[in-house]
Amino acid sequence: MQNSEYVVEMRGIDKIYPNGIAANQGVDFLVKKGEIHALMGENGAGKSTLMKMLFGMEQPTNGEIFINGEKVALTSPTVAIAHGIGMVHQHFMLVPSLTVAENVVLGMEPRKGKLFVDFSKAIALTEEYSKKFNLEVDPNAKVMDIPVGMKQKVEILKALVRGAKILILDEPTAVLTTQETVELFRELIHLKEQGYTIIFISHKLKEIKEITDRMTILRGGRSMGVYNTADTTEQEISRLMVGRDVILTVQKDQAQPTEPVLQVKDLEFTNDWNRKMLNKVSFTVRKGEILGIAGVEGNGQRELVDILYNFAKPDAGSVSVGGKSTLGLHQDKLRDMGISLIPEDRMIYGIADSASIEENVISDRFDKKQFNNGPLFNMKAIHAESERLVAEYQVLCKSPQQQVKMLSGGNIQKVVVAREFSSDPVLIIADQPTRGIDVGATEFIRKKLVELSRAGAAVLLVSADLNEVIELSDSLVVFHGGEIVAYFEDTKKMDEMEMGEYMLGLKRQSPEEVRRVVHEK
Amino acid sequence: MKSKSLRLFGYVRGAAALLVAFLVALVLIFLSSDEPLVALRYMLLGPAASWSKICRVLAYMIPITFTGLATCIMFSANQFNLAGEGCISAGGFVGALVAIYCPMPTVIHQIVCILAGALIGGLIMLIPGFLKTRWGVSEMVVSLMLNYIILDVTMQFLTQNFADRSQGATMTFPYKSSAIIPKIFAGEQVSYGILIAIAMAVLCWFFLYRTKWGYAIRMVGINKEFSQYSGIKVGAIVILCQVVGGILAGMGGVVTQLGYFQQYRWTALTGYGWDGITLAILAANNPIFIPIAAFFVAWLQYGCELMNTWTTVPVEMMDLISVVIFLFFAADQFLSGFRQKLVVRETKKELAEKAAQQSKKGGEAHV
Repeated sequence: MQNSEYVVEMRGIDKIYPNGIAANQGVDFLVKKGEIHALMGENGAGKSTLMKMLFGMEQPTNGEIFINGEKVALTSPTVAIAHGIGMVHQHFMLVPSLTVAENVVLGMEPRKGKLFVDFSKAIALTEEYSKKFNLEVDPNAKVMDIPVGMKQKVEILKALVRGAKILILDEPTAVLTTQETVELFRELIHLKEQGYTIIFISHKLKEIKEITDRMTILRGGRSMGVYNTADTTEQEISRLMVGRDVILTVQKDQAQPTEPVLQVKDLEFTNDWNRKMLNKVSFTVRKGEILGIAGVEGNGQRELVDILYNFAKPDAGSVSVGGKSTLGLHQDKLRDMGISLIPEDRMIYGIADSASIEENVISDRFDKKQFNNGPLFNMKAIHAESERLVAEYQVLCKSPQQQVKMLSGGNIQKVVVAREFSSDPVLIIADQPTRGIDVGATEFIRKKLVELSRAGAAVLLVSADLNEVIELSDSLVVFHGGEIVAYFEDTKKMDEMEMGEYMLGLKRQSPEEVRRVVHEK
Repeated sequence: MKSKSLRLFGYVRGAAALLVAFLVALVLIFLSSDEPLVALRYMLLGPAASWSKICRVLAYMIPITFTGLATCIMFSANQFNLAGEGCISAGGFVGALVAIYCPMPTVIHQIVCILAGALIGGLIMLIPGFLKTRWGVSEMVVSLMLNYIILDVTMQFLTQNFADRSQGATMTFPYKSSAIIPKIFAGEQVSYGILIAIAMAVLCWFFLYRTKWGYAIRMVGINKEFSQYSGIKVGAIVILCQVVGGILAGMGGVVTQLGYFQQYRWTALTGYGWDGITLAILAANNPIFIPIAAFFVAWLQYGCELMNTWTTVPVEMMDLISVVIFLFFAADQFLSGFRQKLVVRETKKELAEKAAQQSKKGGEAHV
């Protein structure tokens, strides 16, 4: 009871996972009542693990946890919730086909009699909390129909209704537009004023500076200390996180685009639920340039990439690379044409997790002559190739024979990138190439991407990370509702606020302005 | 990351599973037998009682090694095809017909018989493979039903067209002597087929781990989406692995027939296909371990037979033992607490080493 100024007190926390990864080592994490406390660190630094233990989803190998000065054993999320802890996950845990109110009361539904759910009470409850905390939601809307920003509010409401006094937000701004982020921050400050404690996980330096009071920085599973946000500069934070100064802007020369490589014309696509996901999408990516696609997720970007790599068939329109139509070709042919893809979901498409690094980097070229001697593999050539790629792409591993799933997120992505970038691609489709990976790996991948484009590859960059898409692209288009609503020829001459308006559909350019991205003579 | 002690854990876990299975068997034997110790001795040591008994164990290894290899290859691509059972009959039957009706010089005759059996096995497996690739039909359901269709078709041909009516039981005419695979030791049951089986295990290992086709099969097994995205023709691989499985099982049928029998007389499913699944699980889909697993299963099987012959314990004991082994091999969490302790210890050691190295480096830098 001696340290009751802390609502959360985690002391000497060790966590060793069954695969031998020491995610936390001797971490102390202390949060004062009523503060917004940042938990910072690169991906793989152990932030999520630490928070999973606080929310009862994982058990620490060693160490003690105190809530309000009382020692607790958080054996499950139910126990954590009972202690007033709520968590908003990065990937929302909502039932899309239910309404907002139904989601809010899920598992603790008010009853009419013993058998029936009292829906009007659920709605009243949702409205009450919504008003009290200034979290505006529509209780009757179905979750699948509401925007991402509102889904997040539903998650926060869910936690509050369950009596949470300590809120853990896992990278809450990763999916939000600039406007939505501003709104979220206003709501968080409102919650803080009412005495709630907020733990804010992020690796975005600007946000941390803006909203938090204190921060704990993790690096390689260890705590690098606790700091007052006001007394710490962005450079200091980044040095503590990475151990060196990171240049967060991408340095690149002016693009010299030449002939068109990827030409997309009037693409249309309707999904299985009869929603039009792409409507007359046309654009061209030229040799030597990076064309970015910005937009809130779910506005047709995923469907576009699926069609470009023939995982889905469009209703209408054409796609050609180097003048040859690619629609309907097997991925094998796409790869022969020099089309590389960094897939959005690297664990599903990017890697075979229980195979070795070596087996993963050769998956697109294992049948080439140079790696085969008659019917047998040329193991020497294969070892040489994997060792070369591991070295060139700085994959941190014990040997290329190590299982890919034993690597950290950033290193897994480097394995994907090593394969996709080393096949002399004429076109690289990079879908969220640095999502959720550490600063070091992010910087490395971005640098490589610029290098390849300047060496003559055409690059299509799809990213929900605004900074990334603006910094990295030479020119960019904005997707909204399955259409291109804006085209910016030069990313240097634009600002985030304006782009946010396009992304949210508040503004759109004229068809003629958008049409320029086709680059017709 | 996989250290020695963790790899060792895999073996320890396997051994523990076997031990538990034996303990269960022990309890049942004690419950069901008046002379449990005698029964136990027959089961465990019976097969070692004489040279000819050991040769019988070796002979029994032959068919199940082939079906085990077939299952390995198909399971590696995540295709749960169970038609090894049918293919061994079909292959054996077609090989037998070649051995009876197509006179040829010896050696060539055996080779042609084996090839014929392999061919029919491969052709049969085209059915579940094609249906899976074209329409997504579950290969498990198709192959399971296929077993009975194959049995009935071979029985139809056997009884209507190829039966030797002078015999008291349903069987074909005897094989030409040029087709017989000779025994290794005169008067003992094991034929040179055992060498073919072991050679196939080595070949299968090379196929799976050292060729582009084997690589593709394994990648499809680990992650189909990844394989497709990488440019692997997943549909073709799904068919390929099942055809290879059919070829192996078909070969196994012929080698067993020509090495063990004088004429074809399988009138029911043999059960070798099911044993093949046991072997694939015991060997963790690695072909090189199949002969070892086959020896173990053959030993137990024969031991149980002997126990059944000489004591009152029923032969079904073998099924019980294998079920318990299955259960513990397949149970992911079996001994996981023990493993976690190992992992924690290993990781701590590793971290300490790293720290020591770094402080050493730091020391040098200061100097």
